[in-house]
Formats: sequence, structure tokens, C-alpha cells
Amino acid sequence: MEIRDENYRIWAENGCVYFDGILRLAGPEAYAPIYSMAVAILHEKHERVIFDLTSLEFLNSSGINLLAKLTIEARKQSMAHVVIKGTSQYPWQAKSLPNLKKLYPQLDLQIA
Amino acid sequence: MDKAATSTRPWGSFRAKFILVVGSAVLIDLLISGGLALWNVQRLSRNAAEEVGRGLEQASQDYIQTYANSTAAQVSLLLGQVNNDVSVLAGVLQEQIDNPKRQANIGSAMSGISPGSVQLSFNPEGQWAQNAPGAPSVVSAWGYLLDENHSPRPDVQAEIQASAVLDLVAPSLLQNGSSKLQMYFIGPKERPIFRTAPYTDQAQTFDRLYPGHNKADFWDFFFPGLYESWQGWEADVRAQPGPDDITQTAPYTDAITGKQIVSFFHPLWSADRKNVAGTAGADITLDQLAEIVVNVKVAESGFGFLAMSDGNVIAINKAGEKTIGLRSASDAKGSGVTGLERSLKNSTQEAITELANNPDQGIRHLLLTDGDERVPFMVIMKKLPPINLWEPGRVRKDAMSLGIVVPEREIYASLFAAQAKISDATNRIVIYQILAILFSLMVVTLAVLAVSKRITGGVSALAGAARRIQAKDYSVRVPVTSRDEVGQASDAFNRMAEQISFHTENLEQIVEERTAQIEDAKEEISILNAQLERENRRLGTELAVAERIQMMVLPRPSELASSKDLEIAAYMSAAEEVGGDYYDVLEAEGRFKIGIGDVTGHGLESGVLMLMVQSVARALHEAGTTDPVKFLVDLNSAVFKNIVRTRIDKHLTLAFLDYDGKDVIISGQHEEIIVVRANGALERIETMDLGLPIGLESDISPFVGTRRIMLAKGDLIVLHTDGVTEAENAEGKLFGIDRLCEEAVRLRDQSADRIVAGIIDRLMEYIGPHKVHDDITLLVLRHR
Repeated sequence: MEIRDENYRIWAENGCVYFDGILRLAGPEAYAPIYSMAVAILHEKHERVIFDLTSLEFLNSSGINLLAKLTIEARKQSMAHVVIKGTSQYPWQAKSLPNLKKLYPQLDLQIA
Repeated sequence: MDKAATSTRPWGSFRAKFILVVGSAVLIDLLISGGLALWNVQRLSRNAAEEVGRGLEQASQDYIQTYANSTAAQVSLLLGQVNNDVSVLAGVLQEQIDNPKRQANIGSAMSGISPGSVQLSFNPEGQWAQNAPGAPSVVSAWGYLLDENHSPRPDVQAEIQASAVLDLVAPSLLQNGSSKLQMYFIGPKERPIFRTAPYTDQAQTFDRLYPGHNKADFWDFFFPGLYESWQGWEADVRAQPGPDDITQTAPYTDAITGKQIVSFFHPLWSADRKNVAGTAGADITLDQLAEIVVNVKVAESGFGFLAMSDGNVIAINKAGEKTIGLRSASDAKGSGVTGLERSLKNSTQEAITELANNPDQGIRHLLLTDGDERVPFMVIMKKLPPINLWEPGRVRKDAMSLGIVVPEREIYASLFAAQAKISDATNRIVIYQILAILFSLMVVTLAVLAVSKRITGGVSALAGAARRIQAKDYSVRVPVTSRDEVGQASDAFNRMAEQISFHTENLEQIVEERTAQIEDAKEEISILNAQLERENRRLGTELAVAERIQMMVLPRPSELASSKDLEIAAYMSAAEEVGGDYYDVLEAEGRFKIGIGDVTGHGLESGVLMLMVQSVARALHEAGTTDPVKFLVDLNSAVFKNIVRTRIDKHLTLAFLDYDGKDVIISGQHEEIIVVRANGALERIETMDLGLPIGLESDISPFVGTRRIMLAKGDLIVLHTDGVTEAENAEGKLFGIDRLCEEAVRLRDQSADRIVAGIIDRLMEYIGPHKVHDDITLLVLRHR
């Protein structure tokens, strides 16, 4: 599965969802396909689901809302092991990702 | 099938091409194979003819050669027999001479027994003496051998008596052995009596044919040089031409019989062998010799001839004589016996003349003239064993040649016949072959015509049908008669024809249907267009409403200026559409609550959410909720529930600053809050741990915290949304918090308005012509 555009690329592979590029979509409707894909991965009952954001340079507020909703979804599913990999290289990640841990303390947030 | 159409291009039709191609292939094949067969037959015939020709020619030549040899052998045999007979006679006579006593006794005995043989009577008319008829032999004594009493001289009489022994031998020799005309004894030159058996009137005949002979010596008159030659042999053996004593004459006219004869002499020698003692002789007619040669019969008109070495032909038949152009001439020499002159050298035929001059043995091919025609002949020359030949004056060695002459056309008749038969057979084969080829061609042509009609019939039918469709006859159908490609094509053609027919006949209806469909579609499109227009209008309206809401919600300038202590300036710029930024200044009973937030997304929902947040905040502030934590938790709770109800899929960051105239309490999670002290010191206050975005969780109480900061005179606080720090320049670089802080510090002594304007100027300058992605909101509070 892959969703891509001029500026970004999101694809899933063995229970891992990779985000790449700059995501600046208009709103929840525009993010819906990405959300569906990520939720589908969550429902696939992998032992471990990883959202790898280390290559995601920018994510706008609607995108951050998407991450929050995914985290809440993971919490609803009581997923044993959900990992979000981030990097402090991009300011938005340091600013927004800790909130996800607050939403779901079992979340494995790895900011490198 | 459309006959008229196909007949217009008879050679362009598929069938014609098919016939042409197949026909050409067959024709070429037939021509090549037929030509090869013909060529081979011709070659075979030629080879066979040559082979047969060579064989037959060889056989013919062998045959003629053999024939010539056998004829030569016959001639030699005849001559040999004559030689033998003469030798026998000569042997007897020589015996007498060698024994004179016995000779005298036998002579006198013969005189007693057969007085007719030795008693001669004078013939006064002829002046010679001759015995009377009735004796076995006639003996003549010439005038010069008689005495005055006309009686033979005594020595002559003794010779006559001695020669009477011939009567004992000659008759039996004449009867047996080869056929001889006569046998005789001639005395020596001193007494040349002439005794001949059988008895003839020989002296009389001599008188008639050779007048004057009685006056001259017999030898010198009849055979000049012969006697002397023999005498020479006696003196010197080397003078003798051949080993044999026998000497032969050329043919001459016999004095007694008048026939052409050849004489064979065997000289007799004196007892002491010092002189010639006469001769024994025998004559054969030329006919006898000629008989062998004349009887030569090769093929139809082949003949033989016998020629002396000088080219004089002594035996030939009449037809042969004419063929090789011989001309007889009388003896022109005038001495001796009269000869026969019929030489090859005088032939009227040039080829024969040449042959006479070059009489080598072997086979040769000549062209002889027969009237106007030149006829090829084959001539075989065969030399006979050499003999001693007398010719007037001398004796020389001579060898006769036997010639066999055959017209080639006859000798090769069988060859020609064989070749003709081969040629006939060849011609017959050729004609049969040609007939076979023609027949094959006819059969193949008929077959091709028949098959082509079957094979191309379908295609022709298709072509005809296609032409009729071209002529707008859509009712045409092709019969499907086979299951091959043509059948499939016919089937497909019929279906297409049906469709064309259907479409053509129903074109009007179809056009109507299509028009109706297009009109329907057009209507549908215009409906959709209208819907789209309405939608756009709705969206436009929605945006207009949202913008209105946002503008309505934001505090009035008077509200910003309502504080005695705080100087507040704000800037807000929506991105392309209505933004989600929110700021507020709430005042109640001297308590100021300044809020800043950022709703995710844009549009009506964002506007509504902002309105709800503002309303709840206003309500809580009015209700006197002074605890910042409780304020935020309650606000979140109320907004969360409304978000669930309205299914607004958004949330917002939101931070509040509570100012009680002395300190500022910060609560809620938002961007960093920048504090610039009057002395220029910069403080950046992180709000991450002071709350959670509003609308995500029903209860955020575990996460909400506060931070209290002192605010002295001249200090200023800068609030912003991420639209400021995340604004990009042309290179995609963010404006960043540091630049913002830097500007705030730089402008700290100025009024809040000026500070806002300054920062915005710097920001706009930074962005340049690049796109503004997000709402930009800036709020500056300054302690008066």
C-alpha cells in the first residue's frame, strides 16, 4: 500500500507505516486515505506497529490531529506495542509528538 | 457471383492470378522435366548412334579387310597352283636334260610309241614344220630350224623327241590342279621349238596373229630380253629379282586362243647349269584370275580389282571399271606379246589417279564422281606376294595389288539403318514425350481451372458481395460453403453486412436515439453544473460565514485597549481561506484573560469550533472561574462534548494568560511564550507541559498545569501561532522562533503596535513572494 504525491510518500510494509516528505493537506477529508491506511495496519493484528516519522519534514496541524486520532485508536484497541519513531531534527516533531504519549502512555515514542 | 463485374477484369481476378501462378508453376515444371527428358533422350540417341556407328564401322572395315585378305589369298592360291603345275612340268623336263641318256631313250621310246608326237611335216605355206593333229601336244619347228629338206635339223629333231616327254605329263597336269589354258615347252635359243598341250593349230594361229614370227628367233620375237635375263641370272644370282625362278608375263592376247592370258615360265637349265635350256610354261586366261576378283561381291555393288605395280589393272568387272573410271588403251609398244593397258594412272577419277601414285596398303576413303554426284567409297589395297615379271626387254620384281572398292553408303547401310532406327526411336520418344507433356498440361489446366473455381469461388463471391455493398445493396449475403478461412471470412462478412444493413437502415433512428441521449446527457450536465454552482455558492457562502464568524469572534480594538496596565496589540492574517487561529482578550471585574489558540484546519467547522471555544471561555470567565486549571478542564470538557455531537473532526491548541494586575499565570498547551524584560532579557516559556490540545480527550485534568511569571513595567509578552515561526521563505527555510525573539528584543522599547508592525514587516520581508501556508497571528502585551 502506498499513497504518494509530489511532496510526500506514505507506505506500509510489514506492520510499519513510513511517512516521508512534507505533508500540508487541507483538512481531515484530505487526510482520510492516510488515516484509513494506518488504521487498517493497526487492525491487522501485528505484534508491533511502527509509525516511522523520521523522514517527515513537516506536518501541519490537521496532520497532527491525524496522529492524535491514530493514537486514540491504538489506545481503544489496547495495542500492546505501538511505536512512533521521530526525530528532533524537525521542530514540529519535538513540539507535537510528546502529546501523543500523554494521550496513550503505553505508546513507545522514540525520538532520536 | 457478379459475372458482369468479374468479366470486366478477367486477368485481374483472384482466380486468374491463382490459375496463372499454379499454371506457371506446373508449366515450368513440365517444361523443365520434359526438356530434360528430351535432352537426355537426344543425348542417349546420339551416344547410341555413335557407339553403334563406331562398332559397325569397325566391323565393316574388319569385314572388308578380311574379305580383301581372303581374296588375296585366293589369288595367291591360284597363282601358287599354276606355279606348282609349271614347276612339276619343269621338274620333269629338267630331269630329262640332266640325264641325256635317259632323255635319248625316252625320246626314241616316244618315237616308237607315239610317232605323231615327234614326226613333223613341212608346211610350205607357212615355211615351218609341225606334227599332225591327233597327238596330245602340238610341236612346231620354225623355218630357221629346218634343213634344206625342210626337215628339222638333227639336233632339233633330238630336242623334239626329248620334249615328247611333255605328252606324258602335261595332259594330266592340265586335267588336274588349277584350270590352265595350255602347258608348253620352248626349246633353247639355238632350237626354240614350241611344244604345247593340248594340240592346237598353233603355227597357223601365230602366222595369223604375229606375221613375220617365222623369220625371227622365237625368243627375241615374242619375249625380247627374257632369255637374256635368265642367262644373266645364271651368271649372277644377284641379278635374279626374286628367289623363285618362275617368271610371269603381264596379260597379253594369246596367239592361239586369242584370249587375254598370263604366262608363267619356269626356265630350264643345261645339265652343267651354265646356260638356259629352254623353258616350261603354262598359260592361264586372265578370266581365271579375274574370276576371283570379279566375283568379289561386297555389299550391293562392291567390287575388286587386281593391279600391277605400275597401276595397270589386270582384273576387274565392267561395272567396277566404269566406277573407277578406267580407260583401255591398245598396246602401243609394238613389240612382244600384245598387252593390255588399263592403268589406274589414266583413270578419269582424280582420287584413283592419286591412289595409283601412292599405292600403300590399307583402308582409305575416296570420293568418286558419279555423274554430278560425288559418292564416298571405301577402298582397301592389299599387296600380293612379289613375283618376277617380264616386260619387253627385261625382268623385274613386281607385286600385284588387290583392291576392294565399296560404296560407303552400302558398307554403312546397316550403320545408317541402325542410326535411322535410333533416330526414329528418338523421334518417336520425343513425340510421345511432347504429347505426354501436352496431355499433362491439359489435365493440369483442367484440374487447375476446376480447383481454382472451388478455391477462389468463395473469394470471388466475397469480392462480388463487397462490390454490391459498395453499390449500396445491403441485402447481399454470401453463402458459407466451407469451414476454412474463406468460410470464416464469409461468415464475418455476412455479420458485417447485417450490421451495416442494420445501421444504415436504422441510421435515422439511431441518430434520433443518440441525439436524445446527448440531450439527456446535456440536461444531466446542466443539472450537475447547477449543483456544482450551488455547491460553490454554498462553499463560498460557508467561507463567507466562517470568515464572518472569525471576525465577529475576535476582540474589538476597544477591548484590546481596555486595560490600564497592559498595552495590547494584535495582528491576524488568514492564509488563503479562513484560518483557524484564535485570540481573545476577556475582561471581567478587572480580571484579564488573554487567550491564543490554533484550530486544526480551516473553514466553517474551524470557525464554528472557534466560536464555541470563545463562547465557552467567555461563559466560564463571566461565571467567575478564576482557577486557570479548572477553567481549561471545563472548557475542554464542554468543547469535547460539542465536538462529539457536531462530529467536527478537529481540535485546537489553546493557552491562556491570566493577569491580575501583578503576575501573569500561563496555562494550556500552545506555542512557546516569549517574554522580553524591560532590560532586554529574553525568556522563552515552554507550554508543552501545561496542557493538552482541546477536543482530543474528554478530561485533560491530568495534563493541565500553570506557570506564573512576574510582569514588571516595560516588560512585554509576545504570543504567536505557528504561522509565524513556520512561515517559509523562497528556499523553504522557516522563519523560526529565534528570529521572532530577536525582533521582539530589538523592538522592545517601542509601543505594542509598533512592535507588532515591526515584526510583521520583518516576517513579510522574509517570506517575500513565497506562499503563505498558514494563518499568521501575533499578539503583543506590554506593561505600561
